[in-house]
Amino acid sequence: FRFKDSLAEDLRSADLVISHAGAGSCLETLEKGKPLIVVINEKLMDNHQLELAKQLHRDGYVLYCNCSTLVDTLQSMDLSALKPFPPGEPEKFALFLDKVVGFQ
Amino acid sequence: TGGHTTEILRLLSCLSESYSPRHYVFADSDKMSEAKIRSFEQKRAETFSNSQFTLDRIPRSREVRQSWTSSVVTTLYSILYSLPLTYKRKPDLILCNGPGTCVPVCISAFLLGLLQIKRTIIVYVESICRVETLSLSGKILYYFSDYFIVQWPDLKKKYPKSVYLGRIV
Repeated sequence: FRFKDSLAEDLRSADLVISHAGAGSCLETLEKGKPLIVVINEKLMDNHQLELAKQLHRDGYVLYCNCSTLVDTLQSMDLSALKPFPPGEPEKFALFLDKVVGFQ
Repeated sequence: TGGHTTEILRLLSCLSESYSPRHYVFADSDKMSEAKIRSFEQKRAETFSNSQFTLDRIPRSREVRQSWTSSVVTTLYSILYSLPLTYKRKPDLILCNGPGTCVPVCISAFLLGLLQIKRTIIVYVESICRVETLSLSGKILYYFSDYFIVQWPDLKKKYPKSVYLGRIV
């Protein structure tokens, strides 16, 4: 398919997701608890887009490869080694902001 | 735009009803943010009865990879455009997270503060995508914001005046 409003349905029914390094795609997938392989194309990408993918890989949340190593990765992957991705904590932000503006 | 809107709505998700009225400002070229905002506010209105919000569009200050010199011109234009808007709304607090759109709004609020017309607290939250380097908006607003929040520890080390609360979106 080309563009959909939401990938939520597809994500829900997937067992494995292979995606580019866009932050939205990575985070949405991880939040749904799906194993994720991020494919990097250094030639096309903005350096900063790589930062998040690399960090997520370093922290053990995603697998990581480029177009030419994708097949190898799929053959040798161990998805059970991936760590579950803890959700972000907007409550901490709310607490911080309340102190800043003086609502305690 | 896109990811920024999603992130900022998540930041708003736990805020109490005291943060009202909410004035959303976004780029005139942004087609999708209005729908996301309305959907967020609609959901919020189910829990909180007194939900007030407004939507304002401003000219986009800079396209991705626009040249430096033309960016200065378009950003100046956006600042001039934002001044009457910021003056009209006189916000107590500005919360932003990085699209080019936020720079003119924050600068105009900063100017109104210098002129003693309205003192606004400026809170900037750098995107979760920024792990090792700041965005251009971040590099600028690091000096103009009252609170500058980063979501990864490397950035806290590089920018010691920033606040690190962990991942908040």
